[in-house]
Amino acid sequence: MKKKRIAVTVENLYITYRGVQRVSIRKYWSKLRGLPESNIVEAVKGVSFEIEEGKILGIIGRNGSGKSTMLRSITGIFSPDKGKINLHGNTVSLLSIGVGFNKSLTGYENIYLSGMLLGFSEEKIKEKEQEIIDFADIGDFIDKPVKTYSSGMYSKLAFAITAVLETDVMLIDEVLSVGDTQFKKKSYNKMKELISDDKRTVIIVSHDNNTIRELCDEVLWLHEGETKMIGKPDEVIEAYEKFMGVV
Amino acid sequence: MRLFFKNLKKYFRYAIRSAKAELKSEVADSYLNWLWWVIEPLAFMLIYTFVFTVIFHSKDEYFSVFVFIGLTCWDFFKRMLNGSVNLINRNRDIVSKVYIPKYILLLSKSFTYLFKMFISMILTVILMLCFKVPFTIYILYILIILPVLYIVSFGIGLILMHFGVFIDDLKNLTDITLKLIFYLSGVFYNINDRLHGTLKYILLRANPIAFIMSESRKVVLYSKLPSFEGLLLWFGIGLVLCVLGVHLVHKNENTYAKVI
Repeated sequence: MKKKRIAVTVENLYITYRGVQRVSIRKYWSKLRGLPESNIVEAVKGVSFEIEEGKILGIIGRNGSGKSTMLRSITGIFSPDKGKINLHGNTVSLLSIGVGFNKSLTGYENIYLSGMLLGFSEEKIKEKEQEIIDFADIGDFIDKPVKTYSSGMYSKLAFAITAVLETDVMLIDEVLSVGDTQFKKKSYNKMKELISDDKRTVIIVSHDNNTIRELCDEVLWLHEGETKMIGKPDEVIEAYEKFMGVV
Repeated sequence: MRLFFKNLKKYFRYAIRSAKAELKSEVADSYLNWLWWVIEPLAFMLIYTFVFTVIFHSKDEYFSVFVFIGLTCWDFFKRMLNGSVNLINRNRDIVSKVYIPKYILLLSKSFTYLFKMFISMILTVILMLCFKVPFTIYILYILIILPVLYIVSFGIGLILMHFGVFIDDLKNLTDITLKLIFYLSGVFYNINDRLHGTLKYILLRANPIAFIMSESRKVVLYSKLPSFEGLLLWFGIGLVLCVLGVHLVHKNENTYAKVI
């Protein structure tokens, strides 16, 4: 068996929300005078894992167990307080909907706006433009301002952009279910196609155990910011379900 | 700093595109459309001219043009500072979902303001034609003055943007400070004539925008050379502010998403 390339390494990751909430000047003043700061939330406490290239990692756990926080820190939105995240030079994106959309502009213009914000070059988007438009499948509305869209069309376009413009590592926070039944099926299939690409590494956060079981190669169970269990999907999910049933 | 230029290169096109998008959406729904960009500065110029020639009997030469040059500089400066304070907050959507170097947001914003300033400058030229202000070669010195204005505004903007994330009422503070600076900068009076002694000296030296306004008028209206030492000094200060600001943003930008 040949040794596979590691795509993402997370080492002893700590993320805390400590006293970084917005303050008014008055509060700032009292802080300077030495009043105690009492709100420290440790969202992620010493999590480590590695994913091989092309593998799919699922993350499960209760609400507030630090799943989304961790995803966001892997994208680079948050900085870890301790520990390391190594992407080994891969590009990474968090699959999220409608980033940087400007609602007064047409869908067409927003493809570029959102795509470039995700770090793609103008040429690359031009290349993929038709594919996005075809996939979004919203007809003439592509040339109309986004604010005239129904919420379904909005998410269809937004999903199409993130799904067609792909990166090496994809992070998915809750498998997206958008649009009407037909589009849902289409987006689920597209997602599966994206995910099962041999080169693509994926991290999925979901509360839907069936999806996780079906799609993932490995599952990480986070509990209150710590790794409770990591291993094969069936084993971890079984333990997780048992645990949730008891509590 | 190297990272700054690398990012600048990578996101420059995005900054331009998003600036264009913002300008477009700004006028997309209004009745008079882009005409507002012309009407607004003209209207303010008329108001100030009316108040100060009719009520205060100001007798400066070419008063309308005088005011207009002041306003052009001032508006850019004010917009930069006002815009940067809660820039991160207004872009909450972007900041909490993707990573983007945060000064790119300010850069993009500054492009929209530059565009508005550009319109304002065209209007200045038209006004100069109307009032038969003599054009001289000295006008070209404005090309040295404007970068200084930009660098200083960008530097201050970066620093304000950073602290605006953490301090909620910084906005109120900048509002008041800007008002104060506005009246002290001589948008509608000539600091050189109205004030004397140390006060004039301090106001012109310590307030970048008063200095830049006065220099711009010198070269455009009075065919004089600008003060090169002054410009160089402010350029230096502006650069230092920018470096400081970039450093500050680099070090802290990853915590922004946690705060908002």
